Amino acid sequence: MKFLLIEDEKELARSITEYLAKENYLCESVESYKEAVEKINLYKYDCIIVDITLPDGSGLNIIRELKNINPETGIIIISAKNSLDDKITGLEIGADDYLTKPFHLPELNARLKSVIRRRNFGGKNEIIFNEIIILPDQMEVAVQGHPIILTKKEYDLLIFFLSNKERVVTKEAIAEHLWGDEMDMADSFDFIYTHIKNLRKKIMEKGGNDYILTIYGIGYKFSSKI
Amino acid sequence: MRLLNKTSRSYIFFSLIVFIISGLIFFRLLDNIFDHQLDKTLNEEKLIIEQSINYSDSVPDFRSVFGHMIDITILDTPHKKSEWIHDTVIYDSLKGEFASLRHLFVENTSVKKQGYIINIYKPLRESENLIAEIVIAISLLFISLLFLLILVNYFISRRVWIPFYRTLNTLRQYEIHQGKPLRLTPSDIHEFEMLNNTLERMSEKIRQDYLNLKEFNENAAHELQTPLAIIKSKLELLIQNEELGEHQLQLISSAFEATSRMTKLNQGLLLMSKIDNNQFFQTERINLIPLIEKTLTHFSEIIEIRKISVTTDFTGPVFLIMNATLVEILITNLISNAVRHNVPSGSIHIKLDQEILTISNSGNPPGSDPQQLFERFRKSDHHSDSVGLGLSIVQKISQLYHMRVEYTYDNFIHSLKIYF
Repeated sequence: MKFLLIEDEKELARSITEYLAKENYLCESVESYKEAVEKINLYKYDCIIVDITLPDGSGLNIIRELKNINPETGIIIISAKNSLDDKITGLEIGADDYLTKPFHLPELNARLKSVIRRRNFGGKNEIIFNEIIILPDQMEVAVQGHPIILTKKEYDLLIFFLSNKERVVTKEAIAEHLWGDEMDMADSFDFIYTHIKNLRKKIMEKGGNDYILTIYGIGYKFSSKI
Repeated sequence: MRLLNKTSRSYIFFSLIVFIISGLIFFRLLDNIFDHQLDKTLNEEKLIIEQSINYSDSVPDFRSVFGHMIDITILDTPHKKSEWIHDTVIYDSLKGEFASLRHLFVENTSVKKQGYIINIYKPLRESENLIAEIVIAISLLFISLLFLLILVNYFISRRVWIPFYRTLNTLRQYEIHQGKPLRLTPSDIHEFEMLNNTLERMSEKIRQDYLNLKEFNENAAHELQTPLAIIKSKLELLIQNEELGEHQLQLISSAFEATSRMTKLNQGLLLMSKIDNNQFFQTERINLIPLIEKTLTHFSEIIEIRKISVTTDFTGPVFLIMNATLVEILITNLISNAVRHNVPSGSIHIKLDQEILTISNSGNPPGSDPQQLFERFRKSDHHSDSVGLGLSIVQKISQLYHMRVEYTYDNFIHSLKIYF
């Protein structure tokens, strides 16, 4: 997998590349519109992550150009402006997703994987983690070959964990992923606990392992190293 | 009191004083002139009578000559000399009324060594009548003059004050957050032109300050986004470190919470400055009932956990012409507020009709002055995780659409009313 990150804020770019590098992705990073246009003309990427406010041009133009060269490349917009207009324009011209800064790295990672899954038309669309198999198109989950019924929130939670497996995911990131930013944090932490408890129970009932690790005070980790 | 009434009153008051004083002076003056005239006639008559006493053998009947009361007494012995004139009142038995008279009295000794006393009475009625007529005429003149004065004053005032009222009207309609400078209609009256200039200068200064403040708020909130994003991402990378102990994790957790709060705060401020900048100008017809129901579903988990009972009372579909994002934020903030400041096993009641949306919730008595609730960063102490911008945002959105927000508290029930 090959990504291009177009972000003028150096430190943020470093964080993103560092996080994604652990997924064994090849992530290149550029800081300007000019460099970005050069790169997309030279190489083929599976997905680009683009900040739309760049010092020397608009990220929206990069998307337009990329759509001409490589229409199958996935596109995720990251923007400091939580502007509905930008979001609509971005999605209209072919972006797959839109994230507002500041975002959680696991969230970006999850969105990235979702984009890649959706773009991977040829291959079989399924997520496999040991005995757990998920068919995202059908929203079906099976453990040891036995289907389990999950609520929407439990399903979202499982996908989010699997997208960020072997990573510590904060309660805040989970809350924002499940409820958006309107929910009061302190309130939602109780619900996360309830949902995780239920999810764990449902997986274990069908003979699955308990992969969800509680990281004291911070959040959770979906890990096979238990 | 209106300026016109005030000036008219002063006019009338001072004119009245001037009239009374000048009237009195005028009256005295006129009285003196008449008395003087009368005394002159009396003296002339006296001289004629004295001449007659001195040089004639017999004194004629002067009463028939001069036509008024004359009384002459001739004495055999010489008499001391004395003379005076005064006003007197005599009862006229013929007419049966009192009559005012001018009385000349003289006693003297004639050349024939005879003493004599002369009394001449001349009625004052004629002069009194004349004075009365003059006073009436002058009073009438004064009243008509005063009336005219007030009338002229009224019409001039109305004309003269037109620019003033125009300025007042413009000021009343002026709203600083619309971003346009204040433009007043020029006036050819120096004083009003001065007023207009001062007002324009003043409002321009205020407008610039307002714009600067707005820009600062916006920039500050905007510029904070990136550092916040960096802090968040670095913390997220940091926790991936498997060598971290419980204590370190606890420290990071606190830092995380603070960053999250700051992010929320910043988002709230950004939203408010966006509303100020009129970035939510697109409006559409929004059906409120489905929106409220959707929002309640959104909060259903917390409502369930806290065992809050929710009742709704919708009289019929209510449509508002508003920006879709803003109306969503408005409803979310109101419901979130009602949930957050509720008590376990409490209640929420939502009532909606064509004029008012009322959201009431059970809760503890308010700690602070209800009017301060809408101020930024105002919050009850129990929920330090909230940033205290929710109700400010509600008010800001309401103001944008000229809706009134009202908060009431009665017997453990808090109510927020939005008048459309």
